[in-house]
Amino acid sequence: MSILDHVWLGVLAVFHGPALFSLFGLPIPVALVMVLLGVVAGIIVGATPGLGGPMAMAISLPILISIFGFRPEALLPVMGFLVGVMKGATLGGAVPAILFNTPGTPDAYMTTLDGWPLARNGQAGKALRVAHASSVMGDSFSDLVLILCAPFLAVMVERFLDLPEKAALLILSLTFIAAVMGGSIGKGLISMGLGLLIAAIGTGQDFYPRLTLGMPSLAEGFSVVTVVLGVLVLGEVFKSLEDGLRDARSGSRPDTRPRGPQALTRADFGRILPYVCRSAVIGTVIGALPGIGSTLAATLGYTLGRARHARRGGSPAFGEGAIEGVAATEAANSAVSGANLIPVLSLGIPGNAAAVFLILAADSIGGFNPGPWVFRVPTTGSNPEMVVAFGLFTMMLVANLLNWTLGGAVMRASGIMARIPRSLLLPSVVLVTLTSLYVQAPEMMTLVVTLIFGVLGYLMRRLGISPLPFIIAFILASPLERAIRQAFAATGGDVWFLVNRPVSAMFLLLGVWVIVASLRRKSPR
Amino acid sequence: MTGSHRTLLLAAACAAFALATLLIWIPADVDSSVIQLVRRRASIGDAMAPAVAAVILLLGAVVLVFERQREATPGLPRESLVFLGLTVLIIALSFVLMRWTGPMLTVLAGLDYRPLRASAPWKYLGFGLGGFVLVAGLVALAERRFSWRGTLVAALVVLGLIAIYDLPFDDLLLPPNGDF
Amino acid sequence: MQSFYKGAIAALLVAASTTFGSEGAQAQGWMPSGPITLKIAFAAGGGADTQARLIAAELESRYGWTIIPEQAAGRGGLSLLADIRDDPADGTVIGMTVTDSLGYSSRASEAPWTPADFTPIATTASFQMGLVASAGSGWASFPDLLDAARGGQVIRFGVMSAKLADQAYLLGEANDVAFNIVELNGGAAVMNGITAGDIDVGFVAGAQSRGVASGDLVNLASALSAPLTQTPDAPLLSEFGLPFDSDGYFVFIAPAGLPEEARTALAEAISAIASDPSNPAGEAIQRAFGEASTLSGAALTDFLTRQYDDAGALMDAASN
Repeated sequence: MSILDHVWLGVLAVFHGPALFSLFGLPIPVALVMVLLGVVAGIIVGATPGLGGPMAMAISLPILISIFGFRPEALLPVMGFLVGVMKGATLGGAVPAILFNTPGTPDAYMTTLDGWPLARNGQAGKALRVAHASSVMGDSFSDLVLILCAPFLAVMVERFLDLPEKAALLILSLTFIAAVMGGSIGKGLISMGLGLLIAAIGTGQDFYPRLTLGMPSLAEGFSVVTVVLGVLVLGEVFKSLEDGLRDARSGSRPDTRPRGPQALTRADFGRILPYVCRSAVIGTVIGALPGIGSTLAATLGYTLGRARHARRGGSPAFGEGAIEGVAATEAANSAVSGANLIPVLSLGIPGNAAAVFLILAADSIGGFNPGPWVFRVPTTGSNPEMVVAFGLFTMMLVANLLNWTLGGAVMRASGIMARIPRSLLLPSVVLVTLTSLYVQAPEMMTLVVTLIFGVLGYLMRRLGISPLPFIIAFILASPLERAIRQAFAATGGDVWFLVNRPVSAMFLLLGVWVIVASLRRKSPR
Repeated sequence: MTGSHRTLLLAAACAAFALATLLIWIPADVDSSVIQLVRRRASIGDAMAPAVAAVILLLGAVVLVFERQREATPGLPRESLVFLGLTVLIIALSFVLMRWTGPMLTVLAGLDYRPLRASAPWKYLGFGLGGFVLVAGLVALAERRFSWRGTLVAALVVLGLIAIYDLPFDDLLLPPNGDF
Repeated sequence: MQSFYKGAIAALLVAASTTFGSEGAQAQGWMPSGPITLKIAFAAGGGADTQARLIAAELESRYGWTIIPEQAAGRGGLSLLADIRDDPADGTVIGMTVTDSLGYSSRASEAPWTPADFTPIATTASFQMGLVASAGSGWASFPDLLDAARGGQVIRFGVMSAKLADQAYLLGEANDVAFNIVELNGGAAVMNGITAGDIDVGFVAGAQSRGVASGDLVNLASALSAPLTQTPDAPLLSEFGLPFDSDGYFVFIAPAGLPEEARTALAEAISAIASDPSNPAGEAIQRAFGEASTLSGAALTDFLTRQYDDAGALMDAASN
């Protein structure tokens, strides 16, 4: 059977799969219902600061598996729900970023930069519509690239990237982050160095957990979600609470009531389209690289969009409420989710937390083992894993369709929380965040550690140090250390393993060039 | 003190921390060296990653010294520190209440908390009181006054979280019940 | 709105639970004094975690006990051991880990305990640890790999623990070849490395079965003391001068001093569920491992003691 036959079988597996119930005599397949539930749940949890897609996926996976069991038929409904949550959450993440200046998901942080000024100008409705359109467009583009390229790219990545090249690629991405993020390279490096250092605590290969000062509670290191929620969510909440306090005292409390037309006009659409297209490509390219997630895509999309906007003298500028800023960020971070499945499906390496849960689902249920054979055309009969893969693609397109049609309404409905004053909402966010963390890691110590990272996040913000390089370095630290150890061991202890191969040497040269170029660009100012 | 002075101070603090990490913390608190010999092969030891991190931190501090003219560092006024202290105090108090309310009340009732940690109403006591104090306390701090609205919201948030995490799922534990 | 979604899930759960027949509470000599905490040494959502949670659910429905599963993952199971060691030994705290955590990991970390500080209850499944290569390598059996290595090919050998690294090293020593031993993060990473061509060969503990069945992967040898179930013709590594095996199981344990009555009741209950494929837990085990392997009582205690002693000998041999 050819690949096209498999595509058709995949579509049939979704639409002709087991029916949940019949509507007017039409059987409603359970996979589609699960995608719908996932999208709605995803938008709502994405819109709730401190919840986020990965957390919803982590909580729902065991529940889904106990509902559907371990039969191969369970794969599509379970993954359908997870895909729905993944896509819904990226969309929903923009809601609190725009309405409350609090990113609902870490990758929506850059959305606050222009979304919140827009909301303060009474343009929250328009900002949400821009986010919706950009997010769905970026996502759809990324999915198309995934579907068209996955089989070919899988083979290419596999053929050209050996262990040293993978290590060099991670080094390149970190240098890039230090150079482009935040205004000061020095502060960027400090933020990154701290992230790498904290990621080193309690991890490593020795049986004695390093840098733990003999404290057993540090022996397992800090979990990603604790650090991310502490620094990004609690740190931001503390700062916003204090800012709210100051504003209240000075009597200039931000007013986000709608003023002026909120609809997205044809002219607006024309303004954002170039940014959406560029960011969609950036997000797709970054998503296709293993180990680099949507936060970097959002930052890059925003930074490059800001440069373009400034060159053209656009007004208002980025950071002061430009709809282009919201569009550049949302298109980029949403475009990651589709392309992210390229390394997942070809190598089993996730690019972000959401992809991890798809692997976990496939792993728990069985019958689908992400790897290159997913796209292998069998000599006789059909390849059931390729059918599942195309079933997954079909559900992603369905989820996009739902995001297009229902997503905007659900997003704006989720924005009902805009009416809740921040002085009531932010303290509630603290408790929701802490409770959801405890549910995953049930120890009071988890909460104490999150509080400490919250204080760190607050101090970094007050000292003008961007917390993003810290977070990204923390997340990439362990893949980077592992890649370097493995490359070193695989080459038999060759000290020059990073520079004596053309591709990895090229990656490193590129990294040096990025640093030098940005130092030059910044120094004459 | 100007913004560039504060930048210099920040750079000095980071450099000191990086040097202390490199020269004291890592040698004292990591088992293996940067490169070690295992099974007759050179391999990368556990000290490599933190050493690289500390060098990057030091590098950042050095670059910051050269950037100090352009890069002003905002200050940390006393009122910010007071606000932060109060926030941490309220949250820490709520943690203490979460952890100890249930066990204290069971002791008063002549019971042991551990077997009751998954039974209503005992399992809700710590989370209920601690969560309530956390939200109500932070609302009062943000509004600089005590309000009935704040207490109502705090109660609703606590009840909502119980409804989301505890009622549908037997396996999920609210604070502090996983500690027993 | 959130309670809407949770409510919908809960409704589906109720609907689904009616499809599984409850076998009802059976008469049982021993009853726990309260809810049982089940500490799981694996990350949430993975295959091992799911197995533990399904067994917990089945125990609840068969015996009417309340079981609260929670994660105690980290450091190859050592975190669980440190955590559970001081817990009450009355059957209200049990843990699920791999037998290796009580063997090599405890020994190499110089942990302040031995297997005698825990009460082993029962195993559920054994690892089908094979030495796996890609079919594209052209190797059919372990001697082919040795020929390639002796012919000058650099062999990258993937392992997922220090214990396996020691074994790979000794295997090379015994056959006068030097492998480039690469430590990867778990069996899935070894599989991915083999498929992507990052490594040439590696130890995989059962996840290879699907690839072997489809002809994409080859079991070059069995790392167990017995042949692999799937490929009984693959030679044992002991035939190539490696006097250590990689036999290992998923195991339920309790702190030391668990009363015999509780130990027997728990062991019988867990073994019965694991070896009965008509419940979701047994079905999952059969699907992933082919069959359940239930050791308990003195046989399990003996296995753990032997494994602990072997680990010491392996460490000594590999450090020379």
